[in-house]
Amino acid sequence: MSNLIEVSGIVKAYGGIKALNGCELEVREGQINGLIGPNGSGKTTLFNVITGYEKVQQGAVTFKGQDITNSTPDHVFGLGIGRTFQLSRMFPRLTVLENMLVATQREEGWLRGVSRLAGSHSERSRALELLDFVGITRLAYEPAGNLSYGQRKLLELASLLVADPDILLLDEPAGGVNPTLINHLADRIRDLNADGKTILVVEHNMEFVMGICSRITVLAQGTTLMAGSPTEVRSSPAVLEAYLGADEEEAALDAALREELEEAARSTTSSVSVTSEPGDRAPAAGGAATEEVLLTLSGVCAGYGGADILKQVTLDVPLGGITCVVGPNGAGKSTVMKTISGLLRPREGEIRFRGELVSGLTPKQVLAKGIAQIPQAHSLFGDMTVLENVEMGAFTVTDRAVVRKRLAEVQELYPIVRDRAHDKAGSLSGGQQRLVEFARCLMLDPDLIMLDEPSMGLDPQTRTMVFDMVAQMNRQGRTILLVEQNARAGLKLSSHGVVLENGQVRLTGSGHDVLTHPEIGALYLGGAVEAAGV
Amino acid sequence: MVFAVFALFPVVITDPTTTSIAFFALVFMVAAASWNIFSGYTGYLALGHAVFFGSGGYALALLTSHLHVSGGWPAFALLPLCGLVGALISIPVGLIALRTRRHTFVVVTIAIFFIFQLAAFNLGFTGGTSGLFLPLPPFSAANFNQPFYYVAFIILLVTLLVSWLVRRSRFGLQLLAIRDDEDRALGLGVKTRRLKLSAFMISAFFVAMIGGLYFDFVGQVFPNTAFDPLFDLSIALMAFFGGMGTLIGPVFGALVLESLQQYLTLSFSSNGTYLIAYGVLFLLVILIMPQGVVPGVRDLLRRRRPAAGGGTLAETDQPLAGAAGATR
Repeated sequence: MSNLIEVSGIVKAYGGIKALNGCELEVREGQINGLIGPNGSGKTTLFNVITGYEKVQQGAVTFKGQDITNSTPDHVFGLGIGRTFQLSRMFPRLTVLENMLVATQREEGWLRGVSRLAGSHSERSRALELLDFVGITRLAYEPAGNLSYGQRKLLELASLLVADPDILLLDEPAGGVNPTLINHLADRIRDLNADGKTILVVEHNMEFVMGICSRITVLAQGTTLMAGSPTEVRSSPAVLEAYLGADEEEAALDAALREELEEAARSTTSSVSVTSEPGDRAPAAGGAATEEVLLTLSGVCAGYGGADILKQVTLDVPLGGITCVVGPNGAGKSTVMKTISGLLRPREGEIRFRGELVSGLTPKQVLAKGIAQIPQAHSLFGDMTVLENVEMGAFTVTDRAVVRKRLAEVQELYPIVRDRAHDKAGSLSGGQQRLVEFARCLMLDPDLIMLDEPSMGLDPQTRTMVFDMVAQMNRQGRTILLVEQNARAGLKLSSHGVVLENGQVRLTGSGHDVLTHPEIGALYLGGAVEAAGV
Repeated sequence: MVFAVFALFPVVITDPTTTSIAFFALVFMVAAASWNIFSGYTGYLALGHAVFFGSGGYALALLTSHLHVSGGWPAFALLPLCGLVGALISIPVGLIALRTRRHTFVVVTIAIFFIFQLAAFNLGFTGGTSGLFLPLPPFSAANFNQPFYYVAFIILLVTLLVSWLVRRSRFGLQLLAIRDDEDRALGLGVKTRRLKLSAFMISAFFVAMIGGLYFDFVGQVFPNTAFDPLFDLSIALMAFFGGMGTLIGPVFGALVLESLQQYLTLSFSSNGTYLIAYGVLFLLVILIMPQGVVPGVRDLLRRRRPAAGGGTLAETDQPLAGAAGATR
């Protein structure tokens, strides 16, 4: 079987950091090829290298035996390589149909391209045919900017097909897309493959990758770990290690994560069933939580204009513990945090911090009381340096000496703040950005830290590291309120668990109790684990 | 209708003051329309188009004196040549400026503009500060403005025709794609560099041509009038006012703003009161119709007829014409 694309010995460095370090890739003609690897392993960078968006220092890329190393994107596309982007990109102010007509036809001379009308009859009917294929024909005359995220992904795919490329490079086609659409996409990709198109997919969703790919290449830290069939990849200890890390001390947490990964890999069709964990595997997490209560919500009702999202929420956050709020999508987890931090004013009920009434205060006043929030992913200022981002955390602190002292502490705790101090925050990987967010939050020396989905978008290895850091902050005497989609991992870490459903507290208890409660698996974890989609 | 009004205007109204205002308005309508072919479609804000406007003026002055061409119609025949000079100059300018994007591009075009102004002051063949004179046309004083008016009008029609053709072509669609997401366009095989330069050249051609005509009308060309930073800003503001990236918007903007400015200056002398009226008008447009007057009014009309608006998509049997209309 011949290779359509061959990549060998690629070295791509940004400053001193090697994003790709001698990586190899073979893309088999006529197959659906997968490319996986933990966050920051260089998957997207490799895509950029193949398609000419990034220049490499060493190595070679060939397409059909022809050298295309360090080519330009338009040239690469002209040869028959089409790609999509991780965060899908299209032309928002053009209509969907116009989006479909932008792509230059292959073997089209410059003058012909310039003088040609946009959309001859045959081109238009071809474009409509393709829109029909992905299922968005009815949106043809809408501005593309009005499409939903999933529809954009479909449009992006369809707009490539106009030029009839030989190979499609898809960067996380299933990322941020609901399960129905994931199945739809998987079917479309299989159809295209059946029509003779070669496909290379980068994806975090293991179920998706294992389900559609016949050959998978695994990247780790910029090098190729292995390549083989899904079964080979699944059973390779090296791959698991790359994803999970192999630290003995973290064995307990790892075991759960490993199980999840295996589960996802095993069940390509059936939904994941949750068995209650044997008690001995759960770590005695959450430090020494006393019975003293730091924060209390009593009878809180709140919402955004319309109906209440929170309906009479009453919960305690014990001093010195980790309290984890879990529940299905839309249960009101993030709303609880917004209400505490003052971004949302409760319609009814009260919130007390150290016995003092804090409901009704402005976010700034709440912050001054010592309650800090780390919002859902991507809250750093990407164009500012790491150091500037961390310093931003202390902009309300006027005493310079205090700021210096805390900065030193934070750098001690998170070496990355020192090592990458002058790099742009946007250049860090997802996990590294989380650490910088933690560092920024600690600059205020808060008593209560609220974490909204700290593990979102992270691979298992990075997630373990982030959870470790959460536990570490807790050990230093800070109380943590955690909202976590990945209920199992979150509860394992926590001393207290709260299950929220439909704006109401359904269950409270120790993290372990909640996790092993007979009702919980059926009600919440099933969905939650699936959504975590390791 | 609009065509007839423009065509008959100087026949009906022969007052030289009014016809000269109309001529100036036409000059800016052409300039704004050609600026729009590049900046409006690609989203690259060029603030140095006076380079081509002035070059057109100098080109005509030099051509007429070296070729011993007399004023009036023989000089008008040289205008396409002035356009070519502008297009030629735009090649090195474009090659340099188009290496950059966004804000950097704006700054680079301004910088290149000042280089040209300095050069005009200091080079021998431009006559330095004393400038150059153009041959006097043999038109009678009473009907002096009319030939200029009609030539400008023809150039406007050609410019609009070209702008329309560009918008309808795949070339134009790709320019709009560059405006929305240049990197993605590259990834779809769009030869962005060539396309941007082509649009830049077309744009420069028409600005230089109308520049030649303008300075022929004025009779002389000086460095500070040929390379006037206010011209750079004016045409951009006119395009914004009317609606950038639309076919008619920039022309409409130029018509309103240039006529208004000329009228106010003449009525209230140039003591600056017109600037206040100008500013108020601008603020109103930005507040009410941030996309510009033409797209703003179109949206209003569409909202007025919700039933018809909802049906247009299904009714249009030529989908692309309808689709193009949405961005025009």
